[in-house]
Amino acid sequence: MTNGTQGGPEILENLKLELRRGCLIVAVLAQLRTEQYGYTLRKALADDGLAIDEGTLYPLLRRLETQGLLVSQWREEDKRNKRFYRLSPAGEQILNQLLQEWKNINASLDRILEPAGRP
Amino acid sequence: MKSSTKSSSNTAELLDRYLHAVRFWLPKAQQQDIIAELSEDLRSQIEEKETGLGRSLNETEIEAMLKLRGRPFMVANRYLPQESLIGPALFPIYRFVMKVVALCYLVPWVLVWIGMMSLNSSYRAQHISAGWLGAIASAWGALWSTAFIALATVTLVFAVLERVQAKSHFLDQWNPRKLPPVRNPNHISRAGSLIEVVVNLVFAGWWIKLMSSSVILDRPEIRIVLTPVWRYFFWGFLLLAFVNAAHAVVNFARPYWTVPRASVRLITDATASGLFCWMFQFKVNGLAEVTIPKIAPAQMAQMQVAANAINLAMARAFPFVLLVGVVILLVDAYRIYRVKNATPAPLKGEISAAVV
Repeated sequence: MTNGTQGGPEILENLKLELRRGCLIVAVLAQLRTEQYGYTLRKALADDGLAIDEGTLYPLLRRLETQGLLVSQWREEDKRNKRFYRLSPAGEQILNQLLQEWKNINASLDRILEPAGRP
Repeated sequence: MKSSTKSSSNTAELLDRYLHAVRFWLPKAQQQDIIAELSEDLRSQIEEKETGLGRSLNETEIEAMLKLRGRPFMVANRYLPQESLIGPALFPIYRFVMKVVALCYLVPWVLVWIGMMSLNSSYRAQHISAGWLGAIASAWGALWSTAFIALATVTLVFAVLERVQAKSHFLDQWNPRKLPPVRNPNHISRAGSLIEVVVNLVFAGWWIKLMSSSVILDRPEIRIVLTPVWRYFFWGFLLLAFVNAAHAVVNFARPYWTVPRASVRLITDATASGLFCWMFQFKVNGLAEVTIPKIAPAQMAQMQVAANAINLAMARAFPFVLLVGVVILLVDAYRIYRVKNATPAPLKGEISAAVV
């Protein structure tokens, strides 16, 4: 009992991280339906309540680009070179499938959490 | 004005130093690209903060911002593929093998060393020239090099297996039918008990036939007679053989260890170990007397050399005999502990029935 309360906040943080990990990929792909560079993407996600630190975001963007889900381009804006990312056609397909999966999971969770839905 | 320019150049230098340090840990092919993007992100963040504050950030604020980003090598690490010498799939097996190596190799090594140093005078004389502390330091050094070689070898083998597994996925190829059957550690094999009965009875027969008389050899040219002390060994080992045979008969009839039977095994093994150790303490001529009426002085000298060689071999073997005895007694003691703390094991098919 004592162990449970002592490790509680840390356990919760770890579980929240695990829960967020998959959601962040969907959120990043969805945000990049419109072209953005790293910093504005991070801000946009934070403004929508999904803050992500740069140490996670940039490696993730690179991974998604290597997987062919994103395309990127260096371009000058406000006299500075910035790398702009957007969803590739393959990424769009994957995003739609992920969103469908997300809806299925959500529906399942709703059924599990809804007491009236239980036999 | 001058101070502002100096501060601005200091903050720029701090940023450059940070980016340079991150660059060091990145793969060459990606260095430029990643650093350009990271630099852009940092400058965007600084710009935004400066707009909010209406002034330039000072060195301390930049320092705090960089600290929040993390150590350069950790930032760079996030861009690198996740690699490990031994991955999570093999790690539990690796840890298990390490424990087995430590238990079966290093622990006996230490016990043998202690045994040799305490009981073998010639070994002790060789190693104690620099005093006990010197002997311990030298053994400690030898133990560490032995431990290092043993553990490094295991690690190396597992690192290779990890690479092979990454390519061939050999861990995915398995068959549930090849899993070991569920066994109760307190179950006694009936075949084992039967063999034990036979071996003990055969030994008892052989022992009575050959060792019941104190005269081993009685010829005109040579006579070998066991000393009176041998009677203790004769009766001791004979009694043990009968007790062990009876014990094995009971085990055959009731093939599960109980605390009383496990305790009897501990007592008989302790007695056997004690007898063996006692026997090894005697010199050859303490156990048997050899009489040769007509012996030439040269032959006599040869006999003495042979006796000395046997005595030396017995003295050298004693630590190992002691070690084997200790290990057997530890196993016996653990058996009692295990039987005492045994939880009722599920019967055959009970787990699968519960699952269904």
